[in-house]
Parts: sequence; C-alpha cells; structure tokens
Amino acid sequence: MTTQSQTNFSHLIGAVLRYTVLGIGLSVTLLPFVYVILSSLKTPSEIIQIPPTFFPKVPTWQNFTTIFNDPKVPLGLFFFNSSFVAMARVGVTLFTSSLAGYIFARYEFGGKGVMFAVIMAQIMIPFQMIMIPLYLILVKLQLIDTLWGLIIPAMIDAFGIFMMRQFIEGIPRELIDAGRIDGASEFQIYRSLILPQLSAPLATLGIFTFMATWNDYLWPLIVITTHERRTLPLLLTWYSSSHGSRPSLTMAASVIVLLPIILIYILFQRQIVANAATSGFK
Amino acid sequence: MASPGSLRRSQRRFAFSVMTPIMIYLMIFSLLPMIWAVILGFFDYSPARVGGTIFGLGESNPFVGIRNYLDMFNDSQPATVFRKSVSNTFLFTFLILPLNLAITLPLAIIIERSHARVKGFFRAVYFLPTVTSAVAVALIWGAIYNPQAGLLNSMIRTIGMTPPKAWLSDPQAFVMGIPLAMIALIVAHLWQDFGYNLVIFIAALQGIPQNLRDAAMVDGANEQQMFWYVTLPLLQPTLLFVCVMTILSSLQMFILAQVMTAGGPREQTTTMLMSIYSNAFRYQNMGWAAAMSMVLFGIIMLFTILQFRFLRSDWEY
Repeated sequence: MTTQSQTNFSHLIGAVLRYTVLGIGLSVTLLPFVYVILSSLKTPSEIIQIPPTFFPKVPTWQNFTTIFNDPKVPLGLFFFNSSFVAMARVGVTLFTSSLAGYIFARYEFGGKGVMFAVIMAQIMIPFQMIMIPLYLILVKLQLIDTLWGLIIPAMIDAFGIFMMRQFIEGIPRELIDAGRIDGASEFQIYRSLILPQLSAPLATLGIFTFMATWNDYLWPLIVITTHERRTLPLLLTWYSSSHGSRPSLTMAASVIVLLPIILIYILFQRQIVANAATSGFK
Repeated sequence: MASPGSLRRSQRRFAFSVMTPIMIYLMIFSLLPMIWAVILGFFDYSPARVGGTIFGLGESNPFVGIRNYLDMFNDSQPATVFRKSVSNTFLFTFLILPLNLAITLPLAIIIERSHARVKGFFRAVYFLPTVTSAVAVALIWGAIYNPQAGLLNSMIRTIGMTPPKAWLSDPQAFVMGIPLAMIALIVAHLWQDFGYNLVIFIAALQGIPQNLRDAAMVDGANEQQMFWYVTLPLLQPTLLFVCVMTILSSLQMFILAQVMTAGGPREQTTTMLMSIYSNAFRYQNMGWAAAMSMVLFGIIMLFTILQFRFLRSDWEY
C-alpha cells in the first residue's frame, strides 16, 4: 500500500518536473516573439523609456502606419521582390527535381551513375566556396543587381532530385508501361502519370525551398545593390540601420517580415516538422 | 505499338534531352566556380583592376603561387583578423555543440515520453524559431540585449542584480575568458537553432523499439541505466549525424554576427565567413578571400568526410 502510493507520488513528481521543464522551454521559445510584437505596438518614446515597460501602456498601430506610408519603403514592391524570387525558385526546383528524379529512378542510359554522383556531390560543396566565382560569372552574364541573379544560380537542387528519385522508385512500373501502351510520349508520361503522384513530396520540397529562399540573406547581400531590388531581409537590415534611433519602427518592420513565414508554418506545421527530421533542411 | 528497339531509343533520347541541359548548367554554375575558386586562391586578384583575357587573371592581377596562403601567417592586419576569425569560428562551434546537445537531447527525451497530443504541440512550438528569418531574429535579440531599454537587462534589474554595461559592444567584458558578445550571440543562435536537432532526436527516439526497453525493464534497469545502456547506444548514429550537422552549420555562422555585432567589439565575434565576405566584396580582394574560403572548405570537408566514414553504421534493430 505504501509502495503503491510512493510510486504514484514519484510519478507525480516526475510529471510535475517534466512539465516544468517543458513550460520553461516554451516561455523561452515564445518570449522573443511576444517581445517583438509588444514592442512594435509601443510609441517611439515608450520603447526607449527607462525603466522599460514590457506591455505597451497604450497599444498603437502608429509604427505600422509610419512604415506603410513611408515613400522610401514601398512595401508592396519589396514583398513582390521576395515573393517573385521565392516563387520562381520553388517552381524551377520542383520542375527540375521531379523531372531529373524521374529520369534517375526509371531510365537506363550510359553515364547514369556518373551523372548522379556529379549531382549528389553538390550537397557537399559549401556555398561559401563558390560564391566569389559565382559572383564574377553573374557579372559576366550581366545578372548582378537583378532578381534573376538570385534565381538562376539555384535552379538545380541536389537534395530535391534525391528526394524525388526515392519517391518515384516507389511508384509501380506498370503505371508507366500502361502509359507507353496507350502511346503517350515520355514527357506526357512524366506530366500526366508521374507528376500527379508526387503531390506530397513536391509540397514538402516546395515549402522548404520557399522558406529557405524567403530567409536567404548572404547571396542577396552580394548580388543586390539597388534599393528598389532589395528582398525583405535586405530591406530589414537597411531599415534598422537607417532608423537606429527609433527601435519601435525596426520591431514593427521585423513583425511585417516574420508574419508570412509564421503563417505558412502554422498552416503546414505538421508537414514541416515531420519532414525536417528526414530531409536535410537547414 | 512501337518496336522494343525504337521504344528504348526514344527513352534514351528523352533521358539525354533532360540530362544534357542539367549537366551543362552544373558545369557553368558549379564545376566552373569550383575550379575558378581554387585558381583565384593563387592570384592577387581584384575585379577593380584590369586583368588578362582569361577570367581577368594575369597582368595587373598577377599569379602569386601560394603567397596568399603564406600571408595568412604573417603579421599584417588582414592576416591577423583572419586568424582571429578562424579561432572565433572554432570557439563558436565548440561552445555551440555541447550546449545544443545539453538542451536538445534531454528535452527530446522528455517530449518523447509525453502524451501524444502534448508532444505534437511542444514539438511544433520549439521548431518555430528555426523557420523564422535569421535577420529578424538578429534584430529581435539585438533589442533584447539593448543595455538601456532591453528586455534582458530589465529582467536582471527586476531580480535585484546589476546587468553588464553592454552585452554586444564591450571589448573588456569576458566570462571565463570568452568574450561576452560571443556568449550573447551563442545564446541567440541556440535559441534559433535548437528545434532542428530536437526534432531529429525525437524522431530517432520514436524509432527505438519498445521491446528493447521492455527487456531492460524486465532485467530491472532503472531510468538512468535505461538511458545510458539502452537509449544512448541506440542513438549513436543519430548523435553523430546531429554533431556533424551542428558543426557544419556553426562553422558557416554569418547572419547573426553580421547583423548583431558586425564582428565587433574588436573582431571578437568576426567569423570566417564574415572575413571572407568583407575581403571579397567590401575590399574587392578576391584572390585573398578565395584562399581563405579554401581553408574554410578544407575544414568543412574534414568534418563531412568524418561523417561519411562513421555514418556507415552497422546498427540493426
């Protein structure tokens, strides 16, 4: 009887401890998000006041309206820049990855093994090693300071090809044979028989490509020089350094940049978290 | 229906029509830059000068052999900064790795044991920082560390302690010999990054078959023994993978340091990638920067090879 209640008691202690740790982790994780949102709702004078407040005394949208009405910050344009680059990279990556993945999964031809090895070697090449010559190549191609300069060097994703090949190998060959008997061309088989089967892995690859592109900073920093062509992360650093004396504006700008990605995360959270462990996303 | 021969021919034609442009593309945007990077490292090259006909090499961008590499050891200012950035990068990496593991592994074990519904919730929240823009993270943490109006110092004052003068810009501030600014960056980095390893550990823990635990339980193992003799050995391949991935990403640390400290104070937080970036694109000293990038590449390659050697594990369960 005593041992019974003792084990119950130690179970209870264990549970309390576990949830305390989880709760602390939760508040540490969420606190910076809460802090940036609350700070973005403070007046410019409240955010620098000493001692500082945590909750805004009178929440105000004025930082957001200041940014929205700033003629030097046409937000629509910067959202377009970021979205255009992200969408283009998603579209191209999904197309090349599925097509090449299909070829590697279902076709036999000379040099296949070598070609696959060449593509997989891309995973091992760190971007920092090739970024200087890549910049010089873009200068030659006159793609510096264009949005295309952010898209064209990223059209082949080795990991995407690998992922698609793995998936397509699981699709029964009979499906392809049936298409051939019906007289479909090879591209038609890819287009109307293979592609529709790939919606799940394509969605995963698409989400990861989108997020990586949306948050990309180093390469845009190198390529883009004109203010109007900046992507959102570039806009954010420029904005914070040119409004250093008004941190409430920087906080509001951060919220504006964070919101879309957080929305996407909330929508696709299951898929993102489940696949992060198996894919090489980082 | 077409004859088998012509069918095979049309298939091969399709495969080649897809693979040829991809291979040409990789030659231009991957193979060429790799070779070019190696070559650049042997030249005193700046795009600002007029050079020879091939890639602007030669003439006023002369071949200097291994001088760029030898210069890394001399007393000039760029070389000193570079060496500082190498030691900073290693310090970052080998502080981040154990701290990250100390957070993620226990947390993963706790989450894995929780109720299914709670599990999904905590996992999702903990993963959130990893998907957010690193630039925004840097700005938010910069505000948190603000010496006057920042959240951290006001919390420290609330519990009646004296906060440091400045978290990110005091060159005299050290904790156990580590610059305070670096510690501040590491905390921000851990906050953004820990969800990734956490999710990997949770997935690995879920993959451990229950019957192994039951067997240990029948043998009378307690919680601690269970961890050291069952869980940890089975996690070994995952642990190795996580270690290497964490090392590789820490070696390439850039955004947080660039935005939060710009490498300061007194180059105490300048990383290798920052050093390469500013030499190549700010000072236009690309030959020198390319040589530095080869050093970073060598270090990264070393860890990548280590991973491939050890990850071919024979674990079977």
